[in-house]
Formats: sequence, structure tokens, C-alpha cells
Amino acid sequence: MNDIIITENLTKYYGKVHAVDSISINVRKGEIYGFLGLNGAGKTTTIRMLLGIIRPTSGRSYLNGKKVHAGNHSLWDKVGYLVEIPYSYPDLTVYENLEIVRRLRLIVNSSPVESVMEKLKLSPYRDRKAKDLSHGNAQRLGIAKAIIHNPDILILDEPANGLDPAGIVEIREMLREMALQEGVTIFISSHILGEISRFATRIGIIHEGKLVQESDIDHLESSLYRRLQVKTDDTDGARSLLLKKGYTAAIEEDFMEVSGKDAISNPENIASLLVHEGYPPTMLKVEEEDLESYFLRVIEKNGGAK
Amino acid sequence: MKGFAEAFWAESLKARKSKILWITFLVFSFIAIMMGLLVFVANNPELVGDSVVLSAKASMIGNADWPGYFELLYQIIAMIGLIGFGFVISWVFGREYVDHTLKDLLALPIPRSVIVLSKFIVITIWAVLLSLTLFILAVVTGLAVNIPGWSVETALHAFYIFTGTALLTLVLCTPIAFLASYGRGYLLPMGFIILIIIITQFIVVGIPGIAPYIPWAIPALFCGAAGPAGPFIGTASYIILFITSIAGLMITLAWWRFADAR
Repeated sequence: MNDIIITENLTKYYGKVHAVDSISINVRKGEIYGFLGLNGAGKTTTIRMLLGIIRPTSGRSYLNGKKVHAGNHSLWDKVGYLVEIPYSYPDLTVYENLEIVRRLRLIVNSSPVESVMEKLKLSPYRDRKAKDLSHGNAQRLGIAKAIIHNPDILILDEPANGLDPAGIVEIREMLREMALQEGVTIFISSHILGEISRFATRIGIIHEGKLVQESDIDHLESSLYRRLQVKTDDTDGARSLLLKKGYTAAIEEDFMEVSGKDAISNPENIASLLVHEGYPPTMLKVEEEDLESYFLRVIEKNGGAK
Repeated sequence: MKGFAEAFWAESLKARKSKILWITFLVFSFIAIMMGLLVFVANNPELVGDSVVLSAKASMIGNADWPGYFELLYQIIAMIGLIGFGFVISWVFGREYVDHTLKDLLALPIPRSVIVLSKFIVITIWAVLLSLTLFILAVVTGLAVNIPGWSVETALHAFYIFTGTALLTLVLCTPIAFLASYGRGYLLPMGFIILIIIITQFIVVGIPGIAPYIPWAIPALFCGAAGPAGPFIGTASYIILFITSIAGLMITLAWWRFADAR
């Protein structure tokens, strides 16, 4: 069986609030699934249901082919997770916090504590109490707790929170390596598409509890809007010409935006036409929509950000 | 039981490394020493001179001899035991919510029931050690201030009554674990403890006839805190106490197993 994480119509209502509404997702082995949504979209609720921490109102989920429920504790042997802000026992040191996780994960050998501290660059803070850690190191400790047992499945809720840019790159590379070299299946939530798209293989966008879009990262790239921006000395005249020739052109401030597949894939035709008709372009460039505007556009199409 | 040793190790580490552990031992030690000093003052009223407050406190002690001293100790463990053990249990369960660490205990290869039971075992050990500290320090202070009427037989009998009262008080604390989990912290269980103390005081004094059927009044009746003419506790009282304790344990286990941890 290739699908490692499966949710079937996973739904959670809190009274009249539909926190998560009929989410069905399949994540294949070794895949990095980016679960994207604004704050309050239902990401954390979905993750908590995936972990059996809260019970779905309806629907079900499976990890490694086993149904998720609170009583099925053998399920968690090979699952690592981090939910929201990773808190640790404040009066215990980094080492003690990890030692607790090692024992509760029934790991007999004690070496994983040292090696995971090494991996997450926590060794210098080994004897520092968790309450005295910086936000970034507290986050690293949370990630260390999630991976100490070399899980097959990793479920991470906003793991980049609190990390500095170098830390984000480092964690991203570590996760990518785990997925590519060790075949770890990673389900990772975020509200930043630009960040997640750098290493996810598939993206699901959740909005107001509903899965509004799901696509492979390659398909996502091709879904981005591209616009041709043209500036000439006589914008009105150039626009009339382009409209006459069947293009769509709109004036934006001091330039024109020309759309249509042909215009974007062959901007040189527009350039020749304008030069030939006496409106030589002073600027001509293809502008690609950034990932954040794409994310917001998808959400707006589905009711907008609230 | 799968993972019990590991869960117990984790719970005992959390307890050992907390300030709360040492604070509870300090408080219980302070109470024991103050009791001995109070009896000393009762036997030597000239020491406090004109201090009305201290004289009044000292006069609360019936007979300032060892039997009277031990009776005071029973009352202390019945009342301070509920507050102290209740505080410990509120902290052991409530801290997982206050420190937001609960979620790390819910998706492990160890059943959640094992985590809950290991917490109860740590609480039991903690409470037993607190009780022993109170008893031993009270005896040592009593001997140091030379309270009259000491005999080994009196001390052994007192230890039996004291231990029984402490254990009955402890087993009644299980519902407090549920309240700490349900209330996600310390406020609800501590409020409950205060309420229970007020209610049982009213019942034991005002309507002593029903006291043997109120679980939290039973330890006080067991140790004779209601006086020699106090209500008798029979099998029904012990059954009520046992059912309350088991119900507290079961509802806590069920809450950890079934309730949404948001």
C-alpha cells in the first residue's frame, strides 16, 4: 500500500462552527505534503484529528493503514509530531526533556538523545532548562522530540515558527533529506506558501475548514498568473491598436497590462507590432504572480480571507 | 503493563525537579514544628507573657500531653492532608494543561491509562512521604519540647490512627485529578477543595447524622476529630469512600482516553 496518510471526509464541528469540513487527503510514501491555510483555517484541528488527540465529528483517518483512534497506541511507534507551539517541561533541561520522550517512546538505547541534540544543534544547550531557551531553540527542541525515534511518518504543524532564516533553511534541508533518503512521509502545515513550496511535493490549501485546492508542486507552478506589462510614450494609442488586433489590454497607472496566452508566450510579437505601428515600447516584461498572491487568489475564489 | 516503568520514571523526574515538591515538604515540616511549639506554649504559658493571640491558640489544645498532641495531629492530617494532597494532585495533572505539555503525552506507544496511573502512583508516594514527614517531625519536636505522657504504645496507636486518616484522605483525592483535567489547570480543583472543607465542617458540626455518608467527612470521623460523641462510621461509610475513590479514578482515566484535548 502506497498511501501512508489517508483522511476520509474528516469533519469536526464545534457547535455550529465547522472547524474542519469533509477533508479527504491521501499522502503517498516519501511525499512531503504541504498543508496550507490562513490562521484559523482548520490546519491544527485536522492535525489533532490525525493524531487522535481530538475525535472527529465524522469521517476517519488512517496512518500506515491503521485507523486512528485514541486507544490504538501501537500506531504511534513510528509517528513523530509537533503540534502548534512546541512546549516542554520548563524546569527540566533540554537533555531531560528529550530523555523523557526517549523513554516514553520505549527506545531502549540512550544514544538517540545525544544524536538528535547534535542534529538539531542543541548540544550547547544540553543542560539549559527549557524555560530559559530562546524561541528558536525551543522550536528546535520540539522538532528534536518529533524525530528522536526516526519516525516513518512526520506530522508537523508550522515547524518554521520562531526559527531564523538560516534555521528555516536548515530544517527544510533536513526534512527534504529525510523524505528523499529515508522515505519518511511528511505532512507539514504552514500559512506561508512561499516557504512550503520550496520543498513540498504536493500542496493542499484549506480555507474555512474545506480543502479548496490540491495540486502537485509542478502543477502549481503552471497555475501561476503571468502578465505582460508594456510601457510606451502613447499608452492610449497603443492600447487601441492592441484591442483592434484582438488582444486584451488594460491600463494600469503608467503602463498597460496585456493578457492572453499568445501575448505572454510570444511577447516579441507584441513588440514587433508596436514598433511597426509607431508605438515603440519603452518597457516590456512578463510578470509572474508570486506564490502568496496565488494563495490569496485561491482563497478569495473560495470566499475570501476573513 | 506496557511502558509503566518508563512512564513512572518520567513522572517521578518531573516531580523531583519541581519546586513544588520542596515547597510541600517545607510546609508540612513547618506545620509539624509549629504544632510542637504550640503545645510547649500551652504547657508554659508564662513564655508568651501578655500575647492574647498565642495564648488563645495554645488554649485550643485540649490536654497538652501526648494523647492530646496526637489528637491535634489527626485533625491536622485530615484537614491539611486534603489541602496538601489535593494541591499535589492538582499540580501533577493540572501542570500538563498549564504548561501545554499534554499533547506530548497523547500519541505515544504507551496507553494513556498507563500515564494516568503512573501519575497516581507518584502522587501516592509523594503523599505518603509528606505524611511521614509530618508525623516524624511532630514526634521529634514533641520529644524536644518534652511533652508529658510519652509511651511507645501511645505513639504506635497514634501512628495507626494517623496513617489510616492520611490514607483515607489520600484515596478521596482521585476526583481532584479529574477536576484538574476537566478544568485544564489548578483553579477548579483548588476551588473544589476549599468548598469540600467548608461543607464538611458545616456537616460535621451542624448535621452530624449525615456526616458518615459524606465521603470527605469520613477521615475526620475515623480519627475522632468530631469528638468521642461523634457519629459512628460503619461499613456503609467505607463503601461510600471506596466508590468515590474508584469513581474519581475511572472518570479521570475516561477523560484522558475520550475527551478532546484542545
